Parts: sequence; structure tokens; C-alpha cells
Amino acid sequence: MKYLMSKYSFKVLAGAALAMIVLVIFPYGASASSETDMLWRKGNDAYSMGDYSVALENYLSIEKLDKVNEHLYFNIGNTYYKLGNTGKAILYYERCLKLNPANQDASVNLEIARMGATDKIETIKGVIFVEWIRSIRNAFSSNQWCLGGFVLLLVTALLFLVYRHFPVLGIRKLSFVLSCIVLVFAIIAFIFSASLKAVANDTSYSIVTASHSNVKSAPNATGNNLFILHTGTKVRTIESAGEWSRIELADGRQGWITSVDIEQI
Amino acid sequence: MRRSLFSKSVLTVICAFVALFARAQSLTVDAPNVVSAGEVFQIVYTVNADVDNFNPPTLSGLTLLAGPTSSRMQSYSNVNGKSSSSLELSYTLVVRAASAGKAKIGQASVQVNGKTISCRALDIDVVAGGNQSSGNQSSHQNSQSQDNDQYQSQNRSSNGTISDTDAFLSLNLSRTSVVKGEPIVATLKLYVKNVNIAGFEDVKFPVFNGFWSQELEVPQNINFTRENYHGQIYNSAVLRKWVLLPQKTGSINIDPAELVCQFQVRVGGGRRSMFDDFFSDSYQMVKKRLFTKQSTIAVKNLPSPAPADFGGGVGQMQMKVSLSRDSIPAHEAGSITVELSGSGNLNLLEAPKVNIPADFEQYDVKTTNNYSNGAAGMSGTKTFEFPFIPRSEGVFEIPAVTYSYYDIKAGKYVTLSSGPLSIKVTKGSATGGSAVISGVSKQAVANLGSDIRYISNASSRFSSRNSMFVGKAMFFVCILLLAALTWLADRMLVRRARLRGDVRRRANRRANKVANARLKQASGYLAKDLGSAFYEELHKALLGYISDKLAIKFSDMQRDTIVETLEAHKVEKEDVDNFISLLDDCEMARYSSASAYENSAMNAQYMKAVEVISSFESKL
Repeated sequence: MKYLMSKYSFKVLAGAALAMIVLVIFPYGASASSETDMLWRKGNDAYSMGDYSVALENYLSIEKLDKVNEHLYFNIGNTYYKLGNTGKAILYYERCLKLNPANQDASVNLEIARMGATDKIETIKGVIFVEWIRSIRNAFSSNQWCLGGFVLLLVTALLFLVYRHFPVLGIRKLSFVLSCIVLVFAIIAFIFSASLKAVANDTSYSIVTASHSNVKSAPNATGNNLFILHTGTKVRTIESAGEWSRIELADGRQGWITSVDIEQI
Repeated sequence: MRRSLFSKSVLTVICAFVALFARAQSLTVDAPNVVSAGEVFQIVYTVNADVDNFNPPTLSGLTLLAGPTSSRMQSYSNVNGKSSSSLELSYTLVVRAASAGKAKIGQASVQVNGKTISCRALDIDVVAGGNQSSGNQSSHQNSQSQDNDQYQSQNRSSNGTISDTDAFLSLNLSRTSVVKGEPIVATLKLYVKNVNIAGFEDVKFPVFNGFWSQELEVPQNINFTRENYHGQIYNSAVLRKWVLLPQKTGSINIDPAELVCQFQVRVGGGRRSMFDDFFSDSYQMVKKRLFTKQSTIAVKNLPSPAPADFGGGVGQMQMKVSLSRDSIPAHEAGSITVELSGSGNLNLLEAPKVNIPADFEQYDVKTTNNYSNGAAGMSGTKTFEFPFIPRSEGVFEIPAVTYSYYDIKAGKYVTLSSGPLSIKVTKGSATGGSAVISGVSKQAVANLGSDIRYISNASSRFSSRNSMFVGKAMFFVCILLLAALTWLADRMLVRRARLRGDVRRRANRRANKVANARLKQASGYLAKDLGSAFYEELHKALLGYISDKLAIKFSDMQRDTIVETLEAHKVEKEDVDNFISLLDDCEMARYSSASAYENSAMNAQYMKAVEVISSFESKL
């Protein structure tokens, strides 16, 4: 009888903990106002009617309110694509993927939009193992990994309690080993989550949004022209000096470009 | 009888008509269209039949000098046994133009076999100050039949030069301000006055850069006609005629045409005797290069925006769209025919867009032209045939074919539209009579087009930019909370376990005491010789002790569990057997009759119980 009692209280505790985590994570930062909702709906309606410039106006005014999410970026990307602005479309798809690398629609559309970009730059491939880890990491968003980490942590705690208090020795041994393994997975999930957050907060990548821009050898107009970049090309900014940014291409070439010609992802 | 009469009369009428049309009579008139005031000229009426009566025309602005005089020409011929005859009657009127202006020759008519044939009335321009001599008969003749070498005209120039007004080239354009694609007729004409032309050399026709050009007339013989050119009577000849379709916009210059003309000019002048003409070479060949003036055509672009289905057509057009068959078996060829008819730049039309169902196999468009060149560009039809082979059954809808062209007269785009067409594809006949089971030919799902994926309509929450949970203060709070909860749960479980342990220890500790109390009670009953109560108390003491000591519930108090538990606690077999035998004795005694109790046995059992419990106490 006492035994049953203890099991019941255990379940209650576990449920309370999970509910708490879910409650804490989900509504966090969610501040949907009727204004953004209205703009969002107006934008979507205009898009479905084919009135892309009106849709864009609505979407951009949501962005101006500093309220964003991956869907907004995705839709802005689509709208720019329909308006024929490949550079901006690529920029917004990249922004969407930065928030959630697992967004399939954005990856597909980014591929399509990149076909319209002029520059073809050979990217240097990393080690296969690292690429593989990265692809696993990119399968979920940061918050999804975080939630998964908490669930695993909860499982660890339960297994730990089983290890501490279960009367049968074999099960106690097994649950100890399991709790250690699950804890390792929980830590990996948190690392992935943190890594995705770091990617999202990484401000070093930009997209060329001007139709074409000369990349010079020095941060002034008199510098030699090294090469010309066209709209839609992804570059990494290394440093800025005044109105100039030092950029590096995916193939390793560097140069200075006017900052107005690029836009940070 | 009546019937045969009727048919006979019909036959007669038909025969009469046949006879009539076999030799169609006509009355033609021949007169110059331009004359100078005071000039005497002829009007000739010709009829190819016997005439009963000739009604001369009424003349206004002309004075009849002589006539009508009739002449008759008859000829017979027999070629290969076939004889034919022709008869020509002509009536000639000699008139003089009274004064400058318009002169009118009214209708003339003849009576042939009681039938009146009339010919058209004529208007004649009478130009003041013409230099045509009234004595020059040849100019009054049918100018159409004259050749330039035979052309005679009084030569006014006697100094051996030809002035620009005596002979010049002119390129006449039907329009000088057009829209792109609008046809223009360009006519290159040679005008001469009072000079004889002996021949041409070195003719250079203009190159129509910026135009699509097509020759309309390339005369083999240069035929001169009289023409009133700015109040002067000239003999003009068409050298060439083109139709031009402008292909670019802006003002386009047409380079001048050139030609070197040889003139026969009389030299000497002064006194002339009638012998000079015969015996001295008083004519001289003079060459002169003639140019046209440069002309410019202003070409405007077509109004913008042009409809999406504009196919480059300018002019007037109609469209007819038809299917080769309304019902067609699958895998058999059919076609949609779009026929554009009308006039305009038919040669430059693009094929209209026909939305053949994507499931049909489509082939190249076949274009058939059937048009002739004319002053309005091309007129006729242009046919586009869109062949296809349907591959699956069903009723397919072909949307209306629309085609726009620019209507010059209306000055706007006109859109032609056919109604939507419907084609029924029936099941195709099995190919051949073979027994092979033919499956459906498999085909990959073809991409008709590609597009980006549609927008997300997720009703989503918007958050400020940095909304990722990991690494925030709340994240660490959550982890600490989870750890704290785990710790708390652990503590609770530990405390619970300890409490449970206490209960057992207390029961353990109490077991001996309780057993002793019960044994004491039992010894009391033994002294009083109450057998039943003694055994009951002894049974309780034994079971209660074991229950408390080994934490076995009363409900689980089966013999087997007791034995198992005792063995698990490593109690000696002897003690276990003693305990079990005691329990058996107690149970047996409790349920047997009261008389069976023996004091000595009870005493021995009491002693045995004390012994077993003390033995257990030392081991458990």
C-alpha cells in the first residue's frame, strides 16, 4: 500500500516537472498582437491574389515592428522572388533558414532562387563527418533541440531515481547505465541547440543585394577592381572600415565592397 | 404534249443564251485622259459585232469636228480545218478640247441584234497651255500600244540639252506617315515631255533599307500614258512598283533611284528643209542621268502596350479555328487549323498560341501561305496547322484561341477570338491483330513547369529576434529546477524508505515482547487447564511473532510462504520443522474436541514454543 503511494507521487512529480518545462519554453517571448496578425493575414491574402507588392509592404511592416519568425522570412523571400528580386529573395530565405535550418520549403525555394543568381562560386567542402553531424544538427530548430534536451534530462532524472530506490539490484544497475547514456544525449541536444543559436546570432554572413558590385583591393574607390559580384551571392564579412566591408567568398577570395551593396543575413 | 412543248421552249432559250455568250459583244472606248486646251484628238469606239445603230455620246466641253466615221474590219482564218471569223467595227469622232477644265464624254451605245450595248462615260482633263501640236496624230492614238522607240513627239529642244522639266524620275509613295507594318505602295515613274527617248542604261533601283519590299509590277515593255503632272501634260511610264512594309520605326530615308536615259535630240536648228530630215543626220543622242529626290517615310511604332496575343499583324484580318475531327481515337493524329484571312502583312504573322492539352503529343506548326501581293500588302489567307496525337481518352477542352492584330483603319488593336473547342478522344483501336497483350505505355510524370513553393499560411506567433531558449537565464533556471525536483523526489523516497524501515524494526523489536505476553497468557490458560484458549493463544503467539519478525502480512500467511521466508533468512531446518509442527498441532487442537486436551502434551508444546521463539530470536 505504501509502495503504491510512493509510485503515484513519483508520477505526479514527473508530470509536474514536464508541464512546467513546456509551460516555460513555449509561451516564452510569444507576444502575438492583433496588429501583426492583421498585417500577416493581409499579406497572405494579397500574395494569394497575386498582388505581390502589397503583400511585401505588409510583410515588411511586420518586420519593421521587430516581430519576426521563420514563416515571415519565408513569405518575404517568396514575395521578392515573385517580384523578380533574386538577391533579396535569397537574403530572406537565408534568414529563414538561419532561424530554422530544418525548414524544407525554404531550402527548396532557396535552391530555385539561386538558379537566378549570376555568380557561381565553388564552395570548399568540409570533412564528411563534420558535415554529417551538421546535417543532423540542422534537422531540428534550436528550440526543438532544447525541448528534446529537457525531455531527455527528465528521463535521466527518473532513471536516477529508479537507480536510487528500486529494490531489485539488476534493474538498479541497468537504470544507472541508461541514465548516464540519456544524460549524454541530453547534453548533446543542448549543445546542438546552443550551436544553432550561435549560428542564428552569427552576423558575419551577408548577401549581395545590389545588381552588381565591384570588389576592390582597398577600402576606397580608387582601389583596383579585383572581381565583380552579382546579386544573390553569399559573402562573409571579416571587418568593416567606414562605408566599406572586407568580405570573403566561399572559395576563399577576399576584397573590399561598399557596405550598401550587401545586406546582413 | 404540253410538257414537251415546255421543255422545247426552255431548250431554245438556253441555246439562245449559249449563242449569245459564245460571242460576247462589247463596246470599248479609247480616248486620251489628258489633253491640252485647243488640242484636236480622236475618240474611237470599237465593237466586235454587226451594229444596227450607233448612238454617239453627248459631249460637253468638247467640240465635235468630224464623225462619227465608221470603219469595218473583217477577217477569216482557217487553222487546221477550224475556221473562225472576226469582225470589228469602229466609229471615230474627231473633237477639239474647247478650254481648260474637265471635259465629259457621255455614254455611247450600239444596238446589236435589237440589244443595246453601252459603254462607260469618260472624263478628260483639259490642261491649259499645253504644247501639244494639234497636228501630231500619233499621240492621239492608243498610247497603251505604243513602244517607247516608236514614240514620236515634237522636239522642242534644239540646243542639244535636256532640261529637268523635260524628263525626270519620280518615286511616288502612297503614304509617307505610317505605323510599323502598314503597307506602302512605291511607284517609280519616268516622266518625259517633248523629247524622244532612245533607251535606258545603268538603272539603279532604290534599296529599301528598313522595309520588307516586294515587287508588284515589273513591266517588260515601258508603256507611256499621258498624265497631268502639276498642270503639264507629260508622258509617264511605270518603271517598277513595289509594296513596302516598314520593319523599323523612326524616319526612314529611301535612297534615290538612278537611271541614265538616252534622248534623241535634233541638232542644227535654224532653217530646216524637208530634205534635212531625210539626208542629214540632224538627230543626236544625248545621255542624261536622272535621279529621284530622296524621300523620307515617318514610321510610328504601334501603340504600346500590345496585347499579349499580338502576332505582329497589321491590316484587316479574320480568324477561323477548326479541328480536323471533333472525335478522334487515341494514338491517331489530328490537328487544329487556324486560318487567318484578310489583308496586311500576312507574310510576317507569327503563329497564334494554341493551348493544346498537355497530355497530347505536339508537333511543329505547319504554315501554309496562300496570298497575293497587292496595294494593301498581302491579301489572302495564311494557315497555321497544329498537329497533335492524343495519348489518353476523354473529353478535352481547348481554350479559345485569341489573336490580336493592329487595325490600321480603326487605329487600334483588334482581338480575334474563337470559341473554346472541345475534342473527344475515344479509345484507340488495338494495333494489328496480334495476340500480344499491349499494356499502357508508361510515362514519367512530366514537369510542366517549376515554381517556388507556396507561402506559409501558418498562423504563427511573432517574436523578437533573439527568441531561442537555450542559454537564457530561464534555461538555467529550468535545469536547476529539474535538478532540485529530482533531489526533492530522492529525499522524499529516502524518507519514506526510512519510515518503512522503522516500522519493521519496531515490529521486530516488539515481536518478542508480544510473543512473550501471549505465551504468558497461554501459560495462564495452561494452569487453569483451558485447552481451547491455550491453543488459540499459542497459535496467535507463533503467527504474530513470525508476521512481525519477517514482515509477512497476515493475509499472506500460508505455510509455503512461511517456510520459504524462513529458509531465505537461513533458519535451520530443524527449527523450521519444529515451528511448522507446532503450528500443525495448534491448528489440529483448536478444531478438535475439548476432551482431547492432555495437560502433559500442552506443557511440552508450550516449552517447545518458547524454545523455537528464542531460537528464532537469536537468528532473525
